[in-house]
Amino acid sequence: MWARMNELERMLNNMDIFRSRLGSAFQDFDQLAEQRYPKTTGDNYPRTNLNDTGDNLEVMVEVPGVSKDNINVKIQGNYLELSGKRTNEVPEGYTVHRTEREALSFSRSFTLPYEVNADNVKASLNNGILTMTLPKSEAAKPKQIAIS
Amino acid sequence: MSENKALTPSNKSDVKAARQLPIITPAVDIFENKNEILLHADMPGVQRENITINIDNGKLYLSGSRTVTDSGAARWREFGAAEYSRTFSVPQSIDVANIKAHLQDGVLQLQLPKLETAKPKQIKITTG
Repeated sequence: MWARMNELERMLNNMDIFRSRLGSAFQDFDQLAEQRYPKTTGDNYPRTNLNDTGDNLEVMVEVPGVSKDNINVKIQGNYLELSGKRTNEVPEGYTVHRTEREALSFSRSFTLPYEVNADNVKASLNNGILTMTLPKSEAAKPKQIAIS
Repeated sequence: MSENKALTPSNKSDVKAARQLPIITPAVDIFENKNEILLHADMPGVQRENITINIDNGKLYLSGSRTVTDSGAARWREFGAAEYSRTFSVPQSIDVANIKAHLQDGVLQLQLPKLETAKPKQIKITTG
């Protein structure tokens, strides 16, 4: 009788292991899908790219339909905050067939890998892409070491 | 033995064309009044010269490609080069010759005027 019970328990344990493995397999799948198509809802809107060009950090932000007056950028040390809003009004006297482009306000903040010199930041908005060049502060810049 | 016997010359531009870009369906707004239809499409990062708009047989094909210049080492990347593509059915009553397109802040604004014959007419009643 006890032998039977032990056997049953072992089988149940095995099933538990199998279940947890199956769960992690699904998680891997989700992660893969997300890498390819990052979601743009909530936390990571607008989408950004960050490049390190040695002396500068370059940030690109995808902000279609947002005019430059409606974007605010705040920089302090290595903290960057982007906020803004997109207004989307129905033109006067028109009936609406389809609205997929919502009016929204957004805010996103980042910790940059280096401190940047906030006084010399260059920003330009071109075709719905905001490009910012953030010069690294002197301490964070790469140094050429002369070999004697 | 070093003689090149390739039948077709290799062409570097072919290699580039073979690279598959992710295809994005742009989000659109469509408005209409009695004179025209307006179509606004989000296409961030696309240059004016890389957009094509074709109208053929009651279909409007909208496409555009964008390149994202990457300089330096990537810390993170959430968007990249892509191709926008979307097809719409448009009524035959559109005045194809007078379609206007305007690109502003990454939003393509299409203005599709209706033909004079397709506009609603108010009929005046005369009394005699």
